[in-house]
Amino acid sequence: MAACEELSFNVDHGYLEGLVRGMKAGILSQTDYHNLAQCDTLEDMKLHLQSTDYGKLLSSSEGDLTVSLLDSKLRENLVTEFSCLRSNALPPLSTFLDYISYSYMIDNVVMLITGALKNKDVSELLPRCHPLGAFDQMAAVGIARTPAELYSAILVDTPLGQFFQDAVSECSLDEMEAEILRNKLYKAYLQSFHSFCKSVGGATKDVMCPVLEFEADRRAFIITVNSFGTDLSSTDRSALYPSCGKLYPGGLKLLAQAEDHEQVKAVADCYPDYKMVFDDPEPGSDFKTLEDRFFEQEVKLNILAFLQQFHFGVFYSYIKLKEQESRNVVWIAECVTQRQKSKIHNYIPIFQGTS
Amino acid sequence: MGVSESEESSLLLDEKLLRFMEQLELLEEKRATFNSLIEQGWFSMSKARYTMGNKQVSALQYASEIEPLVCVQTRTLDNGEMEFTTERCTQTCSKESGKDQRAIEDIGPQEEGVRRRNRPKREIAESTSSDKAPAGKRDHNAQQDPLKWFGVLVPQSLKHAQSSFKQVIELSAEIAALQTAVLSARQELKHSLQNKHTPGERLSNSAGQGSRHNTSAESKQEEAEKQLSATDSQ
Repeated sequence: MAACEELSFNVDHGYLEGLVRGMKAGILSQTDYHNLAQCDTLEDMKLHLQSTDYGKLLSSSEGDLTVSLLDSKLRENLVTEFSCLRSNALPPLSTFLDYISYSYMIDNVVMLITGALKNKDVSELLPRCHPLGAFDQMAAVGIARTPAELYSAILVDTPLGQFFQDAVSECSLDEMEAEILRNKLYKAYLQSFHSFCKSVGGATKDVMCPVLEFEADRRAFIITVNSFGTDLSSTDRSALYPSCGKLYPGGLKLLAQAEDHEQVKAVADCYPDYKMVFDDPEPGSDFKTLEDRFFEQEVKLNILAFLQQFHFGVFYSYIKLKEQESRNVVWIAECVTQRQKSKIHNYIPIFQGTS
Repeated sequence: MGVSESEESSLLLDEKLLRFMEQLELLEEKRATFNSLIEQGWFSMSKARYTMGNKQVSALQYASEIEPLVCVQTRTLDNGEMEFTTERCTQTCSKESGKDQRAIEDIGPQEEGVRRRNRPKREIAESTSSDKAPAGKRDHNAQQDPLKWFGVLVPQSLKHAQSSFKQVIELSAEIAALQTAVLSARQELKHSLQNKHTPGERLSNSAGQGSRHNTSAESKQEEAEKQLSATDSQ
């Protein structure tokens, strides 16, 4: 029977999909953003957030309300929701959700390493790590001196161990090495995630693979653009490009040779999806950074996940959309505190009109 | 004879006043640029946080003990014109390795402005510690563009923030120099006014014709004093 998936999905995962769709309904709407943008202080924002699904998120906070605190609280909220989903998940959804958490683990590892380089105390760094990416051996990460040591002594037993094939090296860990390590781990992670989604098949594959391909291509572009003017050579750079995207292999080769923004734009012009991102903005509209435009595209792709049922993509998309929402709210808060109201509308609304 | 002397001194006074006003205007302009650059810098940092994540651009990224890359050096100008004994910052904003421990601004979030080395200007100023400086700087040379603290592949907005703050550092030295220049010009003016007062009184006492001359001199003096009190309040 071809359509088996729909018949059996709800047995294991129906409750959680229902939960996610309910949570998705609580994502802030245009009106909410409009109200938040009208605020003059963070206290006003706190008041407005109380009428949304966030409820009493900020009212229990002691001390001054700062943007940093707001960000931490929003993150806590997301972590609670994710933990609720993860603790009730059965395989293969549990593996899928674990994959989502690995990207945060990679960020935490790099943060701990760079913190150790600056002689920061582990007790100072640990609370600032992303809770979604927590794992047992975190406290020991700062001790490693080379990626090889990091792998063999600390991370080999963690889920991140599987991503270390390319990243093991004997160079001592400094800022450049940490950055290279981050990108190599992320490359391996993305490729692994992509093949996992392919193996699950069905609607999950149809929804997740385009999203992950976009992610891979985005990383390739951003790495290229940000590496101009730094010490990262093109050969080093090309080792960091994930190969599970549309740009592989021709586009990636061209990107590796690009030396300035114009050449990158020329590469993007060959792909209709990315041509739009690199296009010059219409005159009169706000200047958007490259990253902003990529975020916009990402939101569009993630919204599509909710159009189909009985697949795991909704979980991934929900997490990513919630993250974008946190970014939006924090952006509005920064504009409010710095009194830069003109730029306040640079957030990316998630559901235009009714969701 | 007495009349032309006082005319001369009035002209001199006018000149000084004009110069003072020009410096004041320049100072205001620089202050306005300074403020907008600082705003820009902080805002670019917020944009960088939006892209990279809030905790990626925060106090976690810099060490608790840092060596400054830009320092301010003061030198007393020995200008024959003005005989001042007070020490003040020079107009030639030379930045050299002295010791500067201030500069962690507590505006908004607890971050610090980015600092850089100003190598080319080293040749301009004579400094006492120039022997130690090159050696020390070469050590640090291998290190730290502070931009690297946030990662090697940082977004453009962070680079914009760094360049805004660099310009702020330059400007702040200029503003400090201008401020002291303005203050000294003000002093000058005060002195000149006082000096002008006494001949003026002598004139009115000796001749009797002084009344109209006096009132015109007095009105000028009043204007100048109003200006002085205005700069006082600044």
